[in-house]
Amino acid sequence: MAEPLVVARNVTKVFGATAALTDVSAEVFPGDIIGVLGKNGAGKTTLLETLLGFSPPSRGNVVVFGEDALQMSASAKSRIGFLPQLDEMFAMLNGKQHLAIVAAFHSGWDRALVDRLVAEWGVPLTRRVDSLSVGERQKLAVLCALGHHPDLLVLDEPVASLDPIARRQFLQQLFTIAENDKRAVLFSSHIVSDLERAANKVWIVKDGRLHWQGELDALKESVVRLHIHARAPLPADLAVPNALATRVTGNSATATVVQWEPAAADTLAKQLDSTVNVEALGLEDIFLELHR
Amino acid sequence: MFVVNPQSGTPIYRQLVEQITRLIAGGQLAAGTELPSVRDLAELHTVNPMTISKAYALLEAEGLLERQRGKPMRVAARRRNQAPLTQRLQQLEPAVRDVVLAARQLEVGKKELVALLGDEWEKNDG
Repeated sequence: MAEPLVVARNVTKVFGATAALTDVSAEVFPGDIIGVLGKNGAGKTTLLETLLGFSPPSRGNVVVFGEDALQMSASAKSRIGFLPQLDEMFAMLNGKQHLAIVAAFHSGWDRALVDRLVAEWGVPLTRRVDSLSVGERQKLAVLCALGHHPDLLVLDEPVASLDPIARRQFLQQLFTIAENDKRAVLFSSHIVSDLERAANKVWIVKDGRLHWQGELDALKESVVRLHIHARAPLPADLAVPNALATRVTGNSATATVVQWEPAAADTLAKQLDSTVNVEALGLEDIFLELHR
Repeated sequence: MFVVNPQSGTPIYRQLVEQITRLIAGGQLAAGTELPSVRDLAELHTVNPMTISKAYALLEAEGLLERQRGKPMRVAARRRNQAPLTQRLQQLEPAVRDVVLAARQLEVGKKELVALLGDEWEKNDG
């Protein structure tokens, strides 16, 4: 297997008396498109920024491209593209001037790529940044983050203000980036359907912990909702193995379970003398269930 | 060509595997038919190309598709009834279970359900 681009080991980050991150260990491999999902305030932004070495973890450490994230060389830094949640663009400049400044900082700036995306995405270049719509501004900020072909592209809520067409174009660009077998993308978003299209892996951040991490397909296969219909009334304290939540109403019960194995349906049906229907859950439902 | 629903609880690769398997079994995808390239299909549905590759690789491992040098995947020559009947019936079980459950919920009797299955069978015969 290829070397990971990012390795976080037991990262804890404490602000004052509150832990923003607790014991996070994770890896980012080339080819990954990782979707980061979490409630407001769960710690997504702190996680992304700590992975990039913007602030030191209170405990644990992060290695990016084989270097300590807190002491990255200039060449390692140049392989990163980052879009913060609140972009840091200069209000008085126009798009063209802005791209020129960002390009000047990067030796590998791909002018042709950026010109093409400016045209495809319809980014206005001649108006001041502070006169752009939120969506137009977001597109410009995304271009600033990816124009130098970063090996690690980290985007904090990149698409919240983009229209559906622009979001599709953005996702296509992510695929093009991750197609190169040296590169990876890490992006947080509340638009779950985008994560389902684009991400091969998902990180679910809950209360500062990496509550779930792994392949999106595996997540969908391992979290399901069971609909149980028995011949006789079911006990109110029905214990379904690995259930996050169980609701019993007379002869029927609904249970959301994790670590699901398809073979368990028959076992459960026999045990309870019932029919067991397995409902596969979309990512949004899974996310909600994991937050009960 | 295929229905891809990213929001479904069924992973995209499994949606594709199931559809392609069914289309090949039903004869709609004949041996030798070329499938869309990974890139084309990914672009059409705006889904991660990796999920398409995963589906194709699984189908290749099952012998339903074959890789061609520098060209798209194609449907492999038919190996009729390669799996024993019991195994094929097993594959059918979940679908049958769903139908029976739905019938019970709608209070449709066994006789009516079997008749309906018979009708459907005739319709597709030929």
